[in-house]
Amino acid sequence: MKRGKWLLAAAFLAPAIVVLVGLVVWPALRTIFDSFYGPAGKEFVGLDNYRDMFRFERMRIAIRNSFIWVIAFPFFVTITGLILAVLSERVRWRTAFRLMLFMPAAIAILSSGIIWRIMYEANPERGAVNALLNIPASMFSPPGDLAGATPSTDAAFDRDGLIVSLDVGRDGGTVLVGMIGIREDEIPESAVQASSIADSPEPPGAGTLVGVVWRDARPGENERGVVEAGEFGIPDVVVRLIDAQDQELATGVTEPDGSFRITGIEPGAYRARIPASEFREPWGGITWLAPELATMSAIIAGIWIWGGFALLVIASGLASIPRELQEAARVDGANEWQVFRRVTVPLLAPVLGVVFVTLTINALKMFDLIIGIAPGSVQDEANVIALEMWRTAFTGLGNRGLGSAIAVFLFLLILPVMIFNIRRFRIEEERR
Amino acid sequence: MAGIRLEGVGKVYPDGRRAVAEVDLDIKDGEFLVLVGPSGCGKSTVLRMIAGLEEITEGKLIIDGQVMNDVAPKDRDVAMVFQNYALYPHMSVFENMAFGLKLRKMPKDEIQRRVDAAADLLEIEDYLDRKPRALSGGQRQRVAMGRAIVREPKAFLMDEPLSNLDAKLRVVMRTELTLLHERLGTTTVYVTHDQVEAMTLGQRVAVLKPLTGRRRETLQQVAPPAELFNEPANLFVAGFIGSPAMNLVTAVVEGSGTDVDVVFGGIRLRVDPRALQRAPGLSEFAGKEVIAGIRPGDFEHSRIARDNGARSTMEVEIEVVEVLGSESYVHFPVPVPPVITPDIEDLLADTGEDKETLLDEQSMFTARISPDVSVEPPERVTLVVDTARMHFFDPSTGDRIR
Repeated sequence: MKRGKWLLAAAFLAPAIVVLVGLVVWPALRTIFDSFYGPAGKEFVGLDNYRDMFRFERMRIAIRNSFIWVIAFPFFVTITGLILAVLSERVRWRTAFRLMLFMPAAIAILSSGIIWRIMYEANPERGAVNALLNIPASMFSPPGDLAGATPSTDAAFDRDGLIVSLDVGRDGGTVLVGMIGIREDEIPESAVQASSIADSPEPPGAGTLVGVVWRDARPGENERGVVEAGEFGIPDVVVRLIDAQDQELATGVTEPDGSFRITGIEPGAYRARIPASEFREPWGGITWLAPELATMSAIIAGIWIWGGFALLVIASGLASIPRELQEAARVDGANEWQVFRRVTVPLLAPVLGVVFVTLTINALKMFDLIIGIAPGSVQDEANVIALEMWRTAFTGLGNRGLGSAIAVFLFLLILPVMIFNIRRFRIEEERR
Repeated sequence: MAGIRLEGVGKVYPDGRRAVAEVDLDIKDGEFLVLVGPSGCGKSTVLRMIAGLEEITEGKLIIDGQVMNDVAPKDRDVAMVFQNYALYPHMSVFENMAFGLKLRKMPKDEIQRRVDAAADLLEIEDYLDRKPRALSGGQRQRVAMGRAIVREPKAFLMDEPLSNLDAKLRVVMRTELTLLHERLGTTTVYVTHDQVEAMTLGQRVAVLKPLTGRRRETLQQVAPPAELFNEPANLFVAGFIGSPAMNLVTAVVEGSGTDVDVVFGGIRLRVDPRALQRAPGLSEFAGKEVIAGIRPGDFEHSRIARDNGARSTMEVEIEVVEVLGSESYVHFPVPVPPVITPDIEDLLADTGEDKETLLDEQSMFTARISPDVSVEPPERVTLVVDTARMHFFDPSTGDRIR
């Protein structure tokens, strides 16, 4: 009878044991075993792999990045989740709101990485993040009317802009400033056919300077330095007249046909300057996935992915705090911040701990997000330990021994967090 | 310490639901006032409006001469004791009590002094280092009290603070609360659904009624306990205060002058002149129906009833006897339909039920008699009614006839 019971128990346990041993215990032991062997797993090398892995620059960067992940990622995600949970508690449609914020967690992490790689494109016209930043950027330093343009007539750039030499005679003077390098879609909508005023046989008159700033290009053939039909004036360009001492004498602004007129000048030799701001390029955007920024950018993407998870867990913890405690604090004389700081957060501590530990483990085993987000060229710089393990073991020549050693190293890093977690669960269980 | 005044205070929730209407209360400095009523009458809401935890949508709240409607709870200088004590579980007993003082940046030695004094008063000195988790219900209750006491606030607000205690402890704490109030003299507003608590604790008791149907005011009567019992302002108060509840019956008034009888279900009771003096308005109801009320305690078995010169008797058939030792309750039918009070009508209208379904041929009366006479159902006995203490109500309004 006793024997029969034992057999029954064994029969029930057998499938689980087979799966556990086959898929967890055996691979784990095999990995430890492999870590003492060479690249092909044939010759025994002792602890060499454990020494060698720290010699590679790539691995050192990976360790440094994993360290940054462990420090920054759990902290910021937990804080984000806490803030969102507290704020969304008072929102009428909080369930919908929270669900929306949780949705990124339903996307495969690799896909999230790719989404963020696209959003992080440097060009503001393609990357969503820079497009957003471009709004304030172009407000505070707008691109010039002549961005990217170069002169086709005789002129030279200096530090402050474009300088054109000119003479004003007794009957006045004329100046032509042709521009090339402006794309057709960059012609302002207000622009019209460029003015031929400077080519007029009649002089502009005593003390008067007339000039034209225009796009010296048209579809088909065209002659440089000559205003032709089909060529557009460039409106709203500031032209400053300066003397030899660089003193500003007068200022003109171009009309839709590109012409400007400055009056009341003595005859003589002058220079005209189109200020540098007219040539200012549109904002080029931040290269988020540049080597030095990639890890930070990936962590931001990580916050987007896991923030909803933290929000949901913390919100459920928040809901389990008796409302009276906060009310008691309020009547006791606490303002809302003190209620949050002295009552709500301490009562949430166990939940915050669970979230924090889960995220720490996630940070240590971070892998697919980096693959998705970092282009191949910066993968060395955005590297983390788990990714380096995979790259060492399975890409290129594939060094199984070294890869296994990195895996064991990663396991040793995660182990204390796991032990901490299990111990805390046990304490909480006892308290119940 | 300060007085609290409510002027036409009402509460309507954003969804249009009304919880409280037109509460006028003048709570004097140092008074112990109890808000009592069945669940849903808005008594807790009134208290929470005084505390500032609930927005006041109508009327004015004045504490110590200042309008407090828009003052944050932390600046009202009142202390609240919650039903489930609401002790901060992550703080020790000392920290719980000191929390409000620390927030006010009180010097450390003053905090220590006040907490020690309160702990001494409440006999919880030995638990100051413990967490609330390690305390019994009664001890937690004391800590919650202590947290309020150390604040030395203008008023204590207590929301059913004893209802989580077992029956015995509740009686002990009730006495302690009275002693505490005598010592501290702090204005106290106390919410309970338990009328015994209300009657024993309150210097004055305010009876609140859930808002139903026609009668749209929350507050029914504010009076010292004895007055509430002896002169209930309307049928609601009459039915709510007193246990077992007052027997109510629709009766016809006959006679005039000092010879007035009430007749119901073949029973005729001569109304004592003293009752007539208290209800001169009864003369207008000659030949008409009134609702007569007799408290169970105003019956006695004819065998031992003392002659008080105001006797009237009714012969009834006992159906049930409950012997409690110090007294016995006898239940007997009276062959008249039960009284449909305006409140009951409103309730029926609210639930969409037909009034006729409640119409029964007879109503049950309860009488409290001395345990010295033994009665056995179904015995026929003669009960003496102290008609000097009869109550009369206008059947159309439910108000007491004065």
